[in-house]
Amino acid sequence: MSDQRTVLERVGEVPLSRRRFVQWSAAAGGAAGLMGLGGVGLQQASAADPAPSAEKIVWSACTVNCGSRCPLRLVVKDGQIVRVDPDDTGDDAVGTQQIRACVRGRSIRQRIYSAERLKKPLKRTGKRGEGKWAEIGWDEAYTIIADKLKDTIAKYGNESVFIQYGTGVIGATVARSWPPGGSAIARLMNCLGGFLDQYNDYSCGQIEAAVDFHYGAWQGSNSNDDLVNSRLVVMFGNNPHETRMSGGGEVFVTQTVKRTAGHKVIVIDPRLSDTAMNLADEWVPIRPGTDAALVAGMAHVMIKENLVDQAFLDTYCSGFDEAHLPAGAPPNSSYKSYVLGLGPDGVEKTPQWAAKITGIPAATITRLAREIATTKPCSVNQGWSIQRHSNGENQARAPMLLANMIGQVGISGGGNGERESSAALPMVSFPVLKNPVQPVLPFYAWTDAIVAGKGMDYRKGIRNAANLNSNANVKHDVVLGADIKFIWNYGSNATVNQHGDINKTLEILSDESKCEMIVVIDNQMTVSARWADLVLPDATTAEQVDVIAQGSAGNLGYTILADKAIEPLFDSVPVYEQLTNIAERLGVKEQFTEGRTQEEWVRWLLDESRKAIPDLPTFDQLRTQGIFKKKLDSYISMKKFRDDPVTNKLGTPSGKIEIWSSNLYLMSQDWPMDVEGNAIDPLPIYRQTREMPGDPLQAKYPLQCIGHHYKQRTHSSYGNSPWLKEAHPQHVWINTLDAQARGIAQGDAIMVFNDRGKLVLPAYVTPRIMPGVVSVPQGAWYKPDTPGGVDRAGAVNVLTSQKLTSYAKGNGQHSNLVQVQKA
Amino acid sequence: MLHELPLVIFTIAAQMSAGSFIVLGLIHLLGAKVPQETMDRVTDPALYAVGPLLVLGMAASTLHLGSPLRAANSLLHLGGSWLSAEIFAGSAFAGLGAVFAFLQWKKLGPHVLRQVLAVLTAAVGAFLVFAISQVYSLRTVPAWATYFTPVRFFITALLLGGLAVGAALVIAAQRREAKGVETPEAAALVGRSVRGIALGGLFGLGAKYIGQPAYIGYLGTHPEQAARESLDLLVNTYGVYSAAQNILTFAGIAALFFMLYRMADGNAGKRLMPTAAIVAFVLVLAGEVIGRMLFYASMVRIGV
Amino acid sequence: MAKQLAFYFDQTKCTGCKACVIACKDKHDLPVGVRWRRVAEYSGGLWLVDERTGTMTQDVFSYYTSYSCNHCDDPICVEACPSTAMRKGENGIVKVEPEICIGCKYCAMACPYSAPQFNEAKGVMTKCDFCSDRLAAGQTPACVAACPSRALDFGEVAELRAKYGAMASIEPLPAASVTKPNLVISPHHRAQVSGTGTGRIGNPKEI
Ligand SMILES: Nc1nc2c(c(=O)[nH]1)N[C@H]1C(S)=C(S)[C@@H](COP(=O)(O)OP(=O)(O)OC[C@H]3O[C@@H](n4cnc5c(=O)[nH]c(N)nc54)[C@H](O)[C@@H]3O)O[C@H]1N2
Ligand SMILES: Nc1nc2c(c(=O)[nH]1)N[C@H]1C(S)=C(S)[C@@H](COP(=O)(O)OP(=O)(O)OC[C@H]3O[C@@H](n4cnc5c(=O)[nH]c(N)nc54)[C@H](O)[C@@H]3O)O[C@H]1N2
Ligand code: SF4
Ligand code: SF4
Ligand code: SF4
Ligand code: SF4
Ligand code: SF4
Ligand SMILES: [Mo]
Repeated sequence: MSDQRTVLERVGEVPLSRRRFVQWSAAAGGAAGLMGLGGVGLQQASAADPAPSAEKIVWSACTVNCGSRCPLRLVVKDGQIVRVDPDDTGDDAVGTQQIRACVRGRSIRQRIYSAERLKKPLKRTGKRGEGKWAEIGWDEAYTIIADKLKDTIAKYGNESVFIQYGTGVIGATVARSWPPGGSAIARLMNCLGGFLDQYNDYSCGQIEAAVDFHYGAWQGSNSNDDLVNSRLVVMFGNNPHETRMSGGGEVFVTQTVKRTAGHKVIVIDPRLSDTAMNLADEWVPIRPGTDAALVAGMAHVMIKENLVDQAFLDTYCSGFDEAHLPAGAPPNSSYKSYVLGLGPDGVEKTPQWAAKITGIPAATITRLAREIATTKPCSVNQGWSIQRHSNGENQARAPMLLANMIGQVGISGGGNGERESSAALPMVSFPVLKNPVQPVLPFYAWTDAIVAGKGMDYRKGIRNAANLNSNANVKHDVVLGADIKFIWNYGSNATVNQHGDINKTLEILSDESKCEMIVVIDNQMTVSARWADLVLPDATTAEQVDVIAQGSAGNLGYTILADKAIEPLFDSVPVYEQLTNIAERLGVKEQFTEGRTQEEWVRWLLDESRKAIPDLPTFDQLRTQGIFKKKLDSYISMKKFRDDPVTNKLGTPSGKIEIWSSNLYLMSQDWPMDVEGNAIDPLPIYRQTREMPGDPLQAKYPLQCIGHHYKQRTHSSYGNSPWLKEAHPQHVWINTLDAQARGIAQGDAIMVFNDRGKLVLPAYVTPRIMPGVVSVPQGAWYKPDTPGGVDRAGAVNVLTSQKLTSYAKGNGQHSNLVQVQKA
Repeated sequence: MLHELPLVIFTIAAQMSAGSFIVLGLIHLLGAKVPQETMDRVTDPALYAVGPLLVLGMAASTLHLGSPLRAANSLLHLGGSWLSAEIFAGSAFAGLGAVFAFLQWKKLGPHVLRQVLAVLTAAVGAFLVFAISQVYSLRTVPAWATYFTPVRFFITALLLGGLAVGAALVIAAQRREAKGVETPEAAALVGRSVRGIALGGLFGLGAKYIGQPAYIGYLGTHPEQAARESLDLLVNTYGVYSAAQNILTFAGIAALFFMLYRMADGNAGKRLMPTAAIVAFVLVLAGEVIGRMLFYASMVRIGV
Repeated sequence: MAKQLAFYFDQTKCTGCKACVIACKDKHDLPVGVRWRRVAEYSGGLWLVDERTGTMTQDVFSYYTSYSCNHCDDPICVEACPSTAMRKGENGIVKVEPEICIGCKYCAMACPYSAPQFNEAKGVMTKCDFCSDRLAAGQTPACVAACPSRALDFGEVAELRAKYGAMASIEPLPAASVTKPNLVISPHHRAQVSGTGTGRIGNPKEI
C-alpha cells in the first residue's frame, strides 16, 4: 500500500491532466487509498471542477487473452474515461454482428484506474518476493536492464535469456505480448543475437503436440457459423458461453446459428457450464480426463453395430483396423483391436468398461454412440480443457478419432474434432526479425530450465527452431546450452500465478543465483510482479495507439484502431518506447525502430495489410470509424484433403489421418518417461496417468480438482476489479453430495488441499458439478496468509503440478487430486 | 440478530408507551370510585415516564434513516403509506400525551376535559400500535402479513405497558412509604392495580404461549417458500434465541405467579413486591426484545 | 412517449454473464453493493450415485434470470414509501426523488425484486430509472445495449406482450400477481413457475 501513498505525496509533480485525476480519485477514494475507486464506485469529477467540458468518444479495445476481442468506445471527459459504450456498428446477424463487450470489458475503467496500477519503475531492495521496493527513474531502469542483458549474454549466451509466456496484451499489434517470439521484446532481443524461445502454450499444449501426429499439423475445426449446417453438435468440454464471451464472438455465433438451424447440442462436461445450461439440449457429465474412455466405449457400440463410416476410414485414415496399419506396426495395434480387446491389454472397451471410468451410465454411452453415428451432418468439437490433463495428448485426439469414425471431416456441418476455428482477416503482424537461437523450449518446462536447462535435449522436449512441427522433432540433436538466467515477463502473470505448482515455482525463484534477473512489464502490481527484480509500469491499451487484430467470431473478420484515449497515467510509458530507450543504450536503436514511432508503425502495418485486404481503410479513416468489419467465408476444416486426399496429403508420414501414429510409435521406443504413469501411445487410447480417477492417491485425496476459466477474469487479468469480484466471486464448486458428506453448507469457508498446497475459499455448493469433482476457477491472485502458507485468494495453481505430460511436455493443470474440508 | 436494532427499540418503546397509557386509563376507569386526589397521587408518576419513553423510541427510529434531516418528509404520504400513518400516529400520540401530562401535572382545566383528552390519547395510542402492525403487514413478507402481527403487537403493548406501569406504581408507592406519606387508600389502589396487572400479564403471556404453535403452523403450511424460510430461521438458525424467548416467557409467568402468591400473603408479601414487579417487568421486557429481534431476523420476503 | 415501458428478457439466451449488471454500474457509477440490475441463478435436481457400476445419473436444471426494477403496475414500493419519494411517472417509470427520500429503506423491504438499492454514501434509496436520460437521447438502456446474447430488450408493454406473451412468473421471481411487473419473459426450457419451489437460488449473495 505504501506505493499508493507515495504517489499521493507526489501530486505536485504530475502534469495537470493527471493531477486532476489524482484529486478526483483522492476525493472518491479518500483514506481508502489513491485508487480506491472501485470501493466507492467510480464517482465523476467533484463539484470543485471547472465548467464541465464536452464528452468525446474514443475507440479502443480490450486486448486480454480470452479468445474474443471487443471494441470499446471510451467516453472521455476532462482527460478521464467516464464510461464505456459498446460497439454501435453492425447488427444481430452472424457475419455482420455488433461486437458487444463482455462483463469484463465493460469493467475496464476499474483496471485502468485500479488500486494496483503501477506508477513508477520499481527496483527490488529486499529479498526476491519480499515486497521491498525502491522507486527509481526511467533512466536508471533502462541502464540496469541494458547492463544486465549485456552481462548475461556475455556470460551465458543468448540461450539464457527467456521471454516468458504472456498473453495480457495478445490483442495488440505493436504492443502484442503473445506469442513471446512475436513481441517487440523478441524484436529487441533479435537485434542482440536472439533469445530462448518456446513452443506451444498453456492453452493448448497437448493438442498442439498431438494434432501434428494425428492430422500432420494444426487444422482447427470448422468455424462455428458453419454449425448452421449441422444437425447435431457434440462438444467435449467446450464452453464458448464462458470462454468466448464477446457479444460478437462465439457465444453470439453459437446461439444464433442454433436458433436458425434448430440442431441438437450435446455438451460433455463435468460441470453444468453456462454452455451446457443454455446452448445444450443434453448435458453429459463426465469424470475429468476420461473423454478418451468415453470415445472408446462409443466406438465399441459403433463397431459392433456397423455404424462407423468404413469408406471414410479406409480412404482417409491409417490404423483404424488391422487392414489399414502401416508396414512396421506390430500386429493387433489398430484402434479396432484396442476396442475389441485384441490389443496388448486384452480388455474389451465395452460401454460398461467406459461407464466405470467416465461415470456415465453404459446405456447413455450406447444411446449417444447411436445418435452421433446416425445424425449427420454432425460436428464433433472440443474445448481445450480436455487436453489440459496429465493424459492430455490422448484426450485431445479422442474427439478427432470420433469425428473420423463418423466420417465428418472436411464437410460443411461436420468438423474434425478439434476446437472450432474462425475466419480472420490476414492482418500483418509486427515484424520481429530473425531469432538465430536454435533450441526451443516447451512452454511448461521453463522452471525446469532454470534449475537444469543446460543439456536438455529432444527427449526433454527441446525442439529445433528450424521446424517446430512434432513430426520433425521425433529425434534430433539440438541441445539447450544454458540455464535460464534472465526472464522478460511482459503482459504475463505466468512467472508465478498462472504456472503450475506456485509453491515449487517460488522455491525455484527464491534462489537468486539461479535466475538472476526478472523484469516485469505490466500495468498492475501482479503476483508475478511481486517476484520481480525490476517492475516497469506500462501504459494500457487506452493510453497508446495500436491496431487491434480480431478475436474468434465465426465468419466475421474485423480490425479495430485503438486510439489513445487518455495520457498514460502516472509515470507509465508504452512498452515500445521503453524498449526503444533500452535499444538506444545497447546501440541497436536504429535497427529496432527502423526510424519509426509507434504511430508510424501502426500506419505502416495498416498499409502493409491493405496489400492483402484492399478495402481495409487507411489509418486516418480507421481512426475515425474505429472498426472495420468484413463478412468472410466459413472455414471448413480439411476440405481440400477431403476433396482430394491424394493431391492434398497431410503432413503425417503416411499423408493420411494417422489414428495409429507411426512417429508416436517410434517415440514410444526411444523417449524415457520420467513421470509415473506416463507413456507414449500411438493410438488415442484412454490411459490412467497422474492423478486420474482410480489413482491410489485417491485414498488420501479423493476428489478431482479442475480449474475452469472463469467469468470474473481473463486468467488473472481483471481479477482485481471490485465490480467483477462482486459480480462473479471466487469460490469452490462442490457437489451437494460431497458437501453434505463433509458437513459443508453454501458459503462456508472450506479448505482445498493436497501435498502441493492449500487454499481457503467459500463453498459454492451446487448440483451443477458432478460428485467427486470440485473446481477452483483458475486465475485468482495468489495471496498466502504467510509466505508459502495457505492461499486466501484461491489461486488453483497452489494445487497444480509442474510434472510434464508424456510427449507434449506440457501442462496437465486440470489433473489434481485434492481433499476438501471445512476451514 | 442485531438486525434493525433502531427499529426494535422504536417499536418496543412505542408499544410500551401506548400500552402504558391504555393501562393507566383502565386503572382510572376501573377505579372511578377512588378519590381523584388518591388516583392522581398513585398514577401520575407512571404517566410522566410514558412521554420520555416514546421520545426515546422515536429518536431511535431516526437512526435507521439514511437522511434523518429530512425525517419530516415521512408524513408526506399520509393516507397511502402505513409508515406515514405510523409516524403521524406516533407524533400525535406523543403530542397529545405531552399536553395531557402537562395539564395533569399542573392540574389545569376541568377534570372532564382531561379525561376526554386521556381517552383520545389512548385511542391514538391504540391506533399507533395498529399502524405499526400494518407497517409490517407487507403482503410480500408472509411471516409478517398475518393477523398474528397486530395481535402480537397489542399483546406486547399491553404486557409491557402493564408491567411497566405496575413497576412504576410499586416503586412510587415505596418512595411514599419511605417518606411516610403513603395513605392506606393509595396503598390499596396500588395493590389492586398491581394484582390486576399481574393477572392481565398472565393472560397475555398465556396468549403468547398458545399463539406460538399456531404461528408456527401458519408458517409451515403457507404456500410461499419464504414462509418456510422464516420458519427455518426461527427454529434452526435462531433457535437458541427462540428458546431463550420461551424461557423468559416462562420465567415471566413464574414471576407473576410468585407476585400474586406473595400479595395474597398480606404484609409479608408487600416487602418483596417491588422486587417481584421489577423482576417480572425486566424478564418480560427481555423476552419481548428478543422476540422483536426475532421478528426482524425472520423477515424473508417472497421473490428475490 | 410510451404509456408503460417494460423490459423483455429472453431467458433462453441468458448466460448469466452480468454484462448487463456492469453496464448499468458503469453508466450510473454505482459502488459495490448497489446493484440496480441483478442476475439470479436458480438450480435444482438430484444426483444418484450407483456404487455398483461407478456411474451417476441426474436430473439437474439451472437457469439465470436478469432483472432490475419492473416499474410495476401495482408498485408496493410506491405504496409503502412514507415520503412519496418513490413515484411512478413518465413512461410508467418508477423513480426515487432523491431530494425527498428519507432513506427509511422501507421500499427495499417491501419490493419482492430487491429493486430499490440503498446508497450508503448518499443516504438515499436509488434504483433503476430505465436509463431515462439515454431514452431521452434516443438510445437504448445501457443494460439492453450491453447484453452480448441480445437477451434483453425493452418497449411498450402491450407490444411486448403481444409479441412474446405475458409470462413473468418464473422462479425465483415472485408471482406476477403480487406487484404486476412490467416484465415479459421468454422462459428457459427448464424454467419453473413461481411458487413451485423445486430448486433454490444458487447465488444468494450476488442478488
Ligand atoms: N491451473 C491453471 N492454470 C492456468 C490455466 C488453467 O486452465 N489452469 N490456463 C492457462 C492458460 S490457457 C493461459 S493462456 C495462461 C494465461 O496466463 P497469462 O498469459 O499470464 O495471463 P494473465 O494471467 O491474464 O496475465 C496477463 C498479464 O498481462 C497484464 N496486462 C494486461 N494488459 C496489459 C498491458 O496493456 N500491458 C502490460 N504490460 N501488461 C498487461 C495483466 O495485468 C496480467 O498480469 O494461464 C494458464 N494457467
Ligand atoms: N472468461 C474467460 N474466458 C476465457 C479465459 C479466461 O480466463 N476467462 N481464458 C481463455 C484462454 S487463454 C483459453 S486457453 C480458453 C480455455 O478454454 P478451455 O480450455 O476450453 O476452458 P476450460 O475452462 O479449461 O474448460 C472448458 C470446460 O471443460 C470442462 N472440463 C474440464 N476438464 C474436462 C475433461 O476432462 N473433460 C471434459 N469433457 N470437460 C472438461 C470444464 O468444466 C469447463 O467447463 O478460454 C479462453 N477464454
Ligand atoms: S475479456 Fe474478451 S470478451 Fe470480454 S471484453 Fe475483453 S475481449 Fe471482449
Ligand atoms: S448481459 Fe444478457 S446474457 Fe448476460 S446476464 Fe445480462 S441478460 Fe443474461
Ligand atoms: S420492481 Fe419493486 S421497486 Fe420496482 S416498481 Fe415494482 S415494486 Fe417498485
Ligand atoms: S427509502 Fe426513500 S424511497 Fe424508499 S420508502 Fe423510504 S423514503 Fe421512500
Ligand atoms: S435500464 Fe438503465 S438503470 Fe435500469 S437496469 Fe438497465 S442500465 Fe440500469
Ligand atoms: Mo490459454
